Amino acid sequence: MSDLFAFNGAKGAGYAQPAPISDEYTIPSELQRNTLPRWPRASEPEIVRHYTWLSTRSHGIDSGFYPLGSCTMKHNPRVNERIVQMPGMNDLHALAPASHLQGMMAIFHEMQEMLAHCAGMDSVTLQPVAGAQGEFTAMRCIQEYHREIGESNRDKVIVPDSAHGTNPASAAMCGYEIIEIPSLENGRLDLDALRAVVGDDTAAMMITNPSTLGIFEPEIAEAAEIVHEAGGQMYYDGANFNAILGKTNPGLMGFDAVHYNLHKTFSQPHGGGGPGAGPIGVKAHLSDYLPAPLVVADEDEEGEVWFDWYEPPKSIGKVQQWHGNSGATVRAWAFYRRYGRDLEKMSEHAVLNANYLRYRIMNPSEDVAKSIHAMPVDGAPTDVVKHEFTLSMTPVKDVTGVTGKDIAKRLLDYGYMSPTLYFPMIVPECLMFEPTETESKEAIDQFADDFLHILTEDPELVKTAPHDTPVKRVDEVWAARNLILRHPIDES
Amino acid sequence: MLSAMGLSSMDDLFSDIPEGVRRNAPLDLPEPQTEEEILREAQMLLNTNISVDSRPSFLGAGLYSNYVPSMVPMLATRGEFLTAYTPYQPEVSQGMLQAMWEFQTMISELVGLPISNVSMYDASTAAAEALTCSVRVHNRKASQKSTIYVSELIPPHRMSVIHNYTQGAEIVIKTIPHGEDGLLDISAVNSAEGACAIYVEQPNALGLLDPGICELKSIIGENTALVVGVQPVSLGLIAPPGDYGADIVVGEGQPFGIGPTAGGPIYGLFACSQAYIRQMPGRIVGQSMDSDGQQAFTLTLSTREQHIRRHRATSNICSNETLIALMGAMHMALLGPEGLERLAQRNAGACAATKAALLALDGIESVHPNGVHFNEFAIRLPRPAADLLSFLDEECDITGGLDLSQWWPGRENELLVCATDQIDTEDVEELAEGVQDWLEGYE
Repeated sequence: MSDLFAFNGAKGAGYAQPAPISDEYTIPSELQRNTLPRWPRASEPEIVRHYTWLSTRSHGIDSGFYPLGSCTMKHNPRVNERIVQMPGMNDLHALAPASHLQGMMAIFHEMQEMLAHCAGMDSVTLQPVAGAQGEFTAMRCIQEYHREIGESNRDKVIVPDSAHGTNPASAAMCGYEIIEIPSLENGRLDLDALRAVVGDDTAAMMITNPSTLGIFEPEIAEAAEIVHEAGGQMYYDGANFNAILGKTNPGLMGFDAVHYNLHKTFSQPHGGGGPGAGPIGVKAHLSDYLPAPLVVADEDEEGEVWFDWYEPPKSIGKVQQWHGNSGATVRAWAFYRRYGRDLEKMSEHAVLNANYLRYRIMNPSEDVAKSIHAMPVDGAPTDVVKHEFTLSMTPVKDVTGVTGKDIAKRLLDYGYMSPTLYFPMIVPECLMFEPTETESKEAIDQFADDFLHILTEDPELVKTAPHDTPVKRVDEVWAARNLILRHPIDES
Repeated sequence: MLSAMGLSSMDDLFSDIPEGVRRNAPLDLPEPQTEEEILREAQMLLNTNISVDSRPSFLGAGLYSNYVPSMVPMLATRGEFLTAYTPYQPEVSQGMLQAMWEFQTMISELVGLPISNVSMYDASTAAAEALTCSVRVHNRKASQKSTIYVSELIPPHRMSVIHNYTQGAEIVIKTIPHGEDGLLDISAVNSAEGACAIYVEQPNALGLLDPGICELKSIIGENTALVVGVQPVSLGLIAPPGDYGADIVVGEGQPFGIGPTAGGPIYGLFACSQAYIRQMPGRIVGQSMDSDGQQAFTLTLSTREQHIRRHRATSNICSNETLIALMGAMHMALLGPEGLERLAQRNAGACAATKAALLALDGIESVHPNGVHFNEFAIRLPRPAADLLSFLDEECDITGGLDLSQWWPGRENELLVCATDQIDTEDVEELAEGVQDWLEGYE
């Protein structure tokens, strides 16, 4: 155990700084700080070892297969990291004149155009810094649009019960009332349930397609028609965009607004929880409401291209103070340039890998099948899935008492990150798998073999997993009861 | 793989997409490129940018030029940190969880409040969510229902974020005026009594330190949240807001850990007292134990969050800025208490030296002659600031600051000048000479 606050060496041990250029400053006496924060006093090698030790107790895609459904944990190309460390990136000021930011703005502009094209939208803003903020931003645009056309009575947002939790949370933050509609037994959208709730108070429907069950909603165009006929807007949650890029797009399906997760589809690393980026695209009727500013390209008489900021006339203003997470935008740019017009191959391989993994798990060899206590069932039976799929561990639980959570924890012992657990909630004992396009057939085969093997293991071994991780199963209830949220820093 | 599944082509995998919504034309995008080609093009594009590190730069206004120790990006980009998802499986995420618990501790020590979360998107969203959080906590007892008071001297972009985040809860925003001296009009603060929250910044948008803020809590009382926005580096010299009664402290973490990076990714700080814990936004790490009884860490208080509580969540935040907060933690850990104090002294010293050099010039006046500044100060010019800025940019290769009319129309002749630890004596001399040349050019 390396304890950061146990380092208590010489004052100023860590890092020598130049002297102040002047000491002719004053601080009013009532504002002076009397005691410095009790931060560690450590040397650089001590700090380096501390964080290196911590890194060995973490698990990223670099450590092993990471089939976390809905999170699209694909490989993060390292050239992208190299690019964002180059001069002209971290050392830019957001308020510098446009003449200082032409290279950055060129990338912004290209990304606005590329994202709009891929989603079948008319305008894109890069400002939202996370998927949830993208949802919030789009719902704010829709809200202002309705105010402008005299329909501010539209105060309800419809979401399917399989939606990501951020959808209802983002709409609620805008002040909307949430109407949740149940899915059909096969996990699909229930058009009758939708028809029953739409009306002249419908502001929008928020939905992802493929759904969180990994299945493509075949009646999406009909759903859009129902919502549009009632005067509502269609919002596309882009969390699952990795499944369909180039094959279809939200514009074709009838959506009016969409967010993109650059940290899912476009390989921005997840960084242990962030930063992400959640640009949004909208159809023309919503373009004037986008947060300011956007980047526009002008050409002078000699054909020289010049980039400038543009404030949409009815802009909702700002959702982040600057221009969004430009580091994510630049990484996403480098990622997409790798594929260029072949970007749909990314989706093909993501879908191929998901279907293959599902096939492998659901079709164990005869020898293996004989020793399995019970097989999971398909969360949403269908011929093909898209980039992810769900399995219910209920039969396993019924026979052995082993839960989905136990299996998830046991997978950690094999060096895997677990699939997404207990989501969507409509599938009991749900595990949700998303291998992404960057895993090899060999990696997927090995994972399927190991997963099936766990189903043959002694239930007690699985119930008490994990066994080979830096710590054993962590007591989350104890943490919530005791709420020790910082180091006590005992200086005795 | 296809044949194993009994399929014959990739198209079979997309047969579930109905013809009517299928896209058949190829994407209209450039040819695929190799890593080398992309790197070269990126280099070419980024080279056309003019960075704050390539010349004397006096532009701050919420994003600060700084020096990030070499160790920080090297360690933070270790794959185990960089390529991990949110630590929902604590057994294999102890490293990031412990690092964030340590981050919470360092922020708690810095601002003088017991609780910090793992980060917000930026200072503006942190301020906005602090205000919605305060309304949830205090609205029941408030005599001014759903009402908050905000200092008029906060950056307009931040105000815009606050508007967007508060309008859904139908929160009424009232403004607290500042006097001619740029300080908060304390007599006006009485009107905030019975409201849910008051939001002020220390230093404020014009760089002024305001001792009056220390009295606010005794005026507004227990049932109104005092929310204070800070520049965290200043807290090496300035009293932590927790000491003068702040209930929530927010701020821009960027000076610790990462350059101004065109405004993102950066990270917002959010710290609070016990009373706000169940209503606060964002992730929190707690200490716990594993089944063998050994110390372990895990995300906690998740029942506030969207993936559990859905539309009743305290916030929609899911992805945050963890990796940048980790970089901040590394930077803070390396600085240590005395390193922080030194860094604050360097910022205060650079600001003082720059202010003295400019105010010594005939024709330059201080907007707040008696003000005490940290990092930034406003000066009044005989002609528009925009004109001086282009002159400095084009003739002297200096980035001179912010034309205050960009924030507040009518302040065309006012310039906001910022000096951080990255400004040395030579930079100050160059700026003063440049401004002198410009002044003379108009005589």
